[in-house]
Amino acid sequence: MLESALIKLDFPLFSSHPDLVYLDSAATSQKPQVVLNALLDFYTHSNANVHRGIYELSEVASGLYEQARARVARFLGATSAQEIVFTSGTTAALNLVAYSYGSQVLHEGDEILVADFEHHSSLLPWQRVAAQTGAVLRMVTSDDNGQIALDVWKNSITAATKVVVVAHASNVLGTITDIRSLADLVHRVGAVLVVDGAQAAPHLAVDVHTLDCDFYAMSAHKMLGPMGVGALYTKSALLEKMVPYQVGGGMIEEVTATTATFATGPAKFEAGTPPVAEAIAWVAALDYLEAVGLEAIRQHEVALSEFLLAELQTIKGLRILGPKQASQRTGLVSVAVEGVHAHDLADYLSREQIAVRAGFHCAMPLHHNQHCGATLRASYYLYNDKQDLVRFIDQLHKAINYYG
Amino acid sequence: MDNIYSSDLMEIYKDPSFKGTLSAATNRVDGHNPFCGDQVHLDLMIVDGVIQDARWQGDMCFVSSIGAEFLLEAVIGKHVEAVQTFDQRQLLDLMGLNLSTSRIACATLTLKALHEALDEYQKANNG
Ligand SMILES: Cc1ncc(COP(=O)(O)O)c(C=O)c1O
Repeated sequence: MLESALIKLDFPLFSSHPDLVYLDSAATSQKPQVVLNALLDFYTHSNANVHRGIYELSEVASGLYEQARARVARFLGATSAQEIVFTSGTTAALNLVAYSYGSQVLHEGDEILVADFEHHSSLLPWQRVAAQTGAVLRMVTSDDNGQIALDVWKNSITAATKVVVVAHASNVLGTITDIRSLADLVHRVGAVLVVDGAQAAPHLAVDVHTLDCDFYAMSAHKMLGPMGVGALYTKSALLEKMVPYQVGGGMIEEVTATTATFATGPAKFEAGTPPVAEAIAWVAALDYLEAVGLEAIRQHEVALSEFLLAELQTIKGLRILGPKQASQRTGLVSVAVEGVHAHDLADYLSREQIAVRAGFHCAMPLHHNQHCGATLRASYYLYNDKQDLVRFIDQLHKAINYYG
Repeated sequence: MDNIYSSDLMEIYKDPSFKGTLSAATNRVDGHNPFCGDQVHLDLMIVDGVIQDARWQGDMCFVSSIGAEFLLEAVIGKHVEAVQTFDQRQLLDLMGLNLSTSRIACATLTLKALHEALDEYQKANNG
């Protein structure tokens, strides 16, 4: 296990809230000092808009911004920085794919397949594109274990399938999808695989080359970086088929009163002033994650999950969503307690300085398919230790007794 | 922690008086809390413009349940018009809880459904 007590010292929020048990990293992670420093550094020493000025400071800012792109590319195992478009986050990245790619290639009768555990951010853009293009959106249902077997995918993918959308890791179930095997099935019919990596990139070593997915979306703020920046990886062969999602400054080649031609490469999809400081500070987060080691973080989380799952299984009337095996999930567990509403549990825990999330976690269709109401989610990261989970379990017992 | 809520409220939560359905309901409506996805099903029996009886049903949190109980207690026997002006402030005052913004949406879930049902009733009977 990691030395989480030492790691916590790197995160200033824990100094200002020494009693806090933060179990909501799936919503957003805390930020280490190095990331805060990077933001301050940029604004103190390098602040200028990118790709606009020819003065030195603007070139410095542009250089740092492009280095950040290359760093994200390296983190994901992309072939080139040109495959990385900076966005405001996963939601923007997924909307970008749906509009820029989906609306271009989809026609009436084509099929879009989505997993039933998709976050609304990964579902709604495709609902809209389906309505606009006449394509059919079909949902693939997960089993009681929160998984979709490869055979189920195989049977769902047809010659009409053009786009398959799946979360690399579910934000409710924790389920990790075998992206490579799915990509092989998807490519067999000539379709593309869009992966929502929001909950996977912070926890698993991701290599898009090995995964062989066509698109991969992620948010910096869930992986120690700042809010307001994220990225979309796109296989370079597909970039050319895509039209800009937004148009405006920074993404053009030439503009007349009535026409415009667009820049090539990622700039084409980055209209307006991008989140420069955030992208640069994201680099500090990626450096931090890799210094600790994604493999070590993964082992740490699996050990925490094992402990938590075992403790939760002893609670009467409590149902654990998703895979029962720690190794098959990322660092989160969602539960439903019979007769006690998740909101009430979260309310009780919050009074004990324990931050967990309650609700439908932006995944209403999933809760419907799993036949449960609002759930309580505890999600953890490299700075959480067993002691955090012990406090959570203790207070959860008390909360259930209080309301039960 | 011992008590978040008073024992009186806890008793109401554990043994609600107005939870259930009405077979003789004249108006039925569903309410949704978009924040958490909770749903309430509300049955009303309205005769000659008076709410004769009402029941709520749903797997709701403590605050939503208490909100429904206090609301129905306050409006049963009253004229539709009088109840249409019964607002969020009045309900929260009755409940006497100090609620955060997100939980006010819980407290007023049934109130919103009730207003919707009464608007429909008025439209059907006066329009
Ligand atoms: C699986 C998943 N997809 C997408 C998102 C949306 O991410 P963002 O809000 O950073 O755009 C989230 C965040 O909650 C998520 O968990």
